[in-house]
Amino acid sequence: MSYIIQLTMSMLDGIKYTVGLFGITLLLSMPIGLILCFVRSGKNKVLSSVVGAYVWLMRGTPLLLQLYFFCYGLTFLPFVGQYLVMGRFQSACVAFVLNYAAYFCEIFRGGMLSVDTGQFEAAKVLGFSKWQANIRIIIPQMLKVSLPPISNESITLVKDTALVTAIGITEILYFAKSAVNRDVNVSAYIVAAAFFLALTYALTALFKYLENKFSF
Amino acid sequence: MEMIRVNNLKKSFAGLNVLNDVSFSVNKGETVAVIGHSGSGKSTMLRCLINLERADGGDIIIEGEYLARGGEYPPAKESRRICAKMGMVFQNFNLFPHISVLNNLIYAPVYVMNEKPVSAKERAAQVLKTVGLSDKISAMPRELSGGQKQRVAIARQLMTNPDVLLFDEPTSSLDPQLTGEVLAVMKDLSKKRMTMVVVTHEMGFARSAADRVIFMGDGRIVEEGKPEDIFTNPKDERVKQFIGSIII
Ligand SMILES: Nc1ncnc2c1ncn2[C@@H]1O[C@H](COP(=O)(O)OP(=O)(O)O)[C@@H](O)[C@H]1O
Ligand SMILES: [Mg+2]
Repeated sequence: MSYIIQLTMSMLDGIKYTVGLFGITLLLSMPIGLILCFVRSGKNKVLSSVVGAYVWLMRGTPLLLQLYFFCYGLTFLPFVGQYLVMGRFQSACVAFVLNYAAYFCEIFRGGMLSVDTGQFEAAKVLGFSKWQANIRIIIPQMLKVSLPPISNESITLVKDTALVTAIGITEILYFAKSAVNRDVNVSAYIVAAAFFLALTYALTALFKYLENKFSF
Repeated sequence: MEMIRVNNLKKSFAGLNVLNDVSFSVNKGETVAVIGHSGSGKSTMLRCLINLERADGGDIIIEGEYLARGGEYPPAKESRRICAKMGMVFQNFNLFPHISVLNNLIYAPVYVMNEKPVSAKERAAQVLKTVGLSDKISAMPRELSGGQKQRVAIARQLMTNPDVLLFDEPTSSLDPQLTGEVLAVMKDLSKKRMTMVVVTHEMGFARSAADRVIFMGDGRIVEEGKPEDIFTNPKDERVKQFIGSIII
């Protein structure tokens, strides 16, 4: 039992990276995704295609590849590479934010398509400018439809954070793996699993609460 | 005074001519009913007036200001200012489902016209009273019947104090027993000399409440005149047939 407690304590040290990466990614990729969604659905054809290509690229290649690219590859870019040196955690954050923004862009776009055009028209005849209409009328309705897929995506994100163990960031799984190797005992994996389960459980509860709030 | 003046309005969708040289005007305090077969361009015409559709050609003049001049439009901000004098009521109500009846009413005054929430709320209570829905002020849209939704939609638009109200088949998605309560509100507005353009299939309303009736067919105004004349003594064959096919 004391062995389990000792494992848990050592993993708590790694949880700051797991939770930190999760929090930073979610906090930044959602607003970026929302902006991308408006650009993607906007009138400017060129910008819209650029975002389309971006989404295709980020969703069509492995996150692990993107992680390696930003952590190890960036510095080898000609000319600009030398200015793009980042710490490992920073580069992990960049890779995750850029990747997840693409997914959130598509989720929000689905939400936007689900809002009846009559809502835009009603806002317009009441005198709302495009932005006022988006902020007061359209986005709240988009969020309602987007919440279930956002919830799914966040749970995926919690689990995806384990990928950064591949670039040597000492998050939960990193500790678990070294403990298993060191002690020749599988318990550490089970403790790590419990950590992830606890996190995803808390998230599920949070999103359930939000979905209730948005059940107009 | 002319509130709306339309000259040679033209509009096509992907090569299909929907409006061909439509010209008419609406005077202050007048109620104009627009009737005609479905697909004749009534909605498109109405939507052009409030800039939900863009005309390809012709003039649209709202209270003396050009919304469109020879099919050319001013910048968005300017056209928004010109159209702010009008309001529109839709067939599908288009209430904002995520906010209460009260908020549906006060959002535009507060966020667009910068009215103080306290004063907007006071007015909202009064306006709701005039449409007979005082008890629904804190209801959510989904809790309302169709007729109540449409009355809230009218109240919401009245909150912006429009000079002209446009209606696009306001009772067409209502059960027959619910149309009466909406028509009553509209008749009341008409009596108070609100300037109204009403696209409708309610011939009873067109006959009793309208000052003038416009019959549209194939993107043109086929006939226009006083309700008595249109309904009892139509000149055009198509109007005759249409009137004949409708039981009033
Ligand atoms: N957004 C649109 N795109 C393509 N065709 C349209 C559009 N809106 C209307 N139309 C066509 O224009 C014609 C007139 O439509 P509408 O103005 O809605 O007639 P009404 O309101 O008299 O029934 C119809 O043939 C309709 O199919
Ligand atoms: Mg129509």
